[in-house]
Amino acid sequence: MESQRGRPALFRSLAVCGLGAMDSTVIRHVAEHISTRSCMPYTIIPEMDIPAYAFDEKRGQYNSKVILKRLMQFPHDCIRLLAVTQVDLFVPILKYVFGLAQVGGPCALISTYRLRPEFYGHDPDRDLFMARIGKTAMHELGHSLGLTHCRNRRCVMYSSTRINDTDLKRSDFCPTCFELFRWHLEKCRVEPNLYVPQN
Amino acid sequence: MPGKGKVQSMKIVPPGKKKCVWMEAGVVSYKLCDNNYDCPTCVYDHAMQTKVARQKESMVAKPAEAQPDKFTATWVEKMMMLPASSRKCRYMITGEIGRKLCPNAYECGTCSFDRMMQQRLQSEPMAVSASVQVAGFEVADGFYYHEGHTWARPEYGGRVRVGLDDFARRLIGKLSGIEMPGIGHELKQGEAGFGVRRNGKSAGILSPVDGVVTRINDRLLDHPELVNASPYEEGWFAIVEPTRLRKNLKDLYYGEEAHTFTSEEKERLFSMANDDLNIAADGGISVEDISEELEETQWLRLVKAFLRSK
Repeated sequence: MESQRGRPALFRSLAVCGLGAMDSTVIRHVAEHISTRSCMPYTIIPEMDIPAYAFDEKRGQYNSKVILKRLMQFPHDCIRLLAVTQVDLFVPILKYVFGLAQVGGPCALISTYRLRPEFYGHDPDRDLFMARIGKTAMHELGHSLGLTHCRNRRCVMYSSTRINDTDLKRSDFCPTCFELFRWHLEKCRVEPNLYVPQN
Repeated sequence: MPGKGKVQSMKIVPPGKKKCVWMEAGVVSYKLCDNNYDCPTCVYDHAMQTKVARQKESMVAKPAEAQPDKFTATWVEKMMMLPASSRKCRYMITGEIGRKLCPNAYECGTCSFDRMMQQRLQSEPMAVSASVQVAGFEVADGFYYHEGHTWARPEYGGRVRVGLDDFARRLIGKLSGIEMPGIGHELKQGEAGFGVRRNGKSAGILSPVDGVVTRINDRLLDHPELVNASPYEEGWFAIVEPTRLRKNLKDLYYGEEAHTFTSEEKERLFSMANDDLNIAADGGISVEDISEELEETQWLRLVKAFLRSK
């Protein structure tokens, strides 16, 4: 790990990967979206298997906490790893989640399942779908860098209880969260380290 | 001629608020009720009664200096000046009933209709006029919330109904029993007044106000599940005769404060339930029965942390 110190920032990037079969345009959209807003290069990692190990038969959904733990076992040399899946996610005390991340952790996870307008009985709307994906991805990236929820309803770090909250918020940070985001990102740039899972 | 006359002010009564009886009778131009029509304990009512009495005395002593139009009659006297067809019963003023004229010259203490209404209102659950979803939890409007997740709702006549909020009933889960205090038992704000049981484990529930229990919801003894089904209406715990209501209400969350409190509690709950990983999520309303998702030891830890009971 010491050998990684001093490595040029150019090689440090944000990684995006699909969990299970994912539309490549969605993966690319996520990668470009977070890359543009963080001014960091991105890397697309080859797709991983659908997380069957996390399926909860009683709920008919996938336990996002179990998936996140598994992702944390995946060594990588990127600033953060963002996984995208189209299966329906939950955490034990909530009915569903759009995304999950460890605060200040190496990985984050988002699901497109409840971001599709069709899920709510509406007509397909690609732009709306992509906008929701972008907001959710930035939200989880923010968490994984160390940001917590923001009280500003228009800030991307506002906690969306329902999809309306996601639609209401903007795809950018409020000034305070933006400052924090930049600060955390800068720390990652100057202190690069290879993420090796701890067993 | 425009501009010459007295400017007629807009007397807008905000939604959810009600006119004071002194305003209703036309004695004062604008005053909203802040004591739930419990006039005997209302500071404003006492002050106005005193003011009217003094005004009347001064009129007798110095009739020329007295102001004939200013506070020379109580609200009851003013109401009694109205034609009989315009004398609204106080339950009509408060919106409890559609139309009812006063049959007893506003002597509510001796009115049989008043007694009937008092009994009926105590035994029936009060309907929630409106509620909002905050962070996936229902927060009923017009309720005061204690940090131990109990609510207090002042009702007509100065009584206070108390119960458990939506956050607590989801956290505790399906109840198997409820422990109620006896009638006449004195409750203290912030001290355990009730108890809930689930799967052989029990937890104390804090009282949101000081007061004496005058009625308990005995249906809950046989059907504790009513709390799970309807925490703000059918699932009320008890009716209390408060002893320090004004002071107690200042220590409770109301309106926007209650929303912020609920939102913060959800964040705290999520964080405590997932403290092994320190995760944060976007999206998601709480499951109906949070306790089902928790291990037994975690349940007790979380219930005690959020209900603030020992």
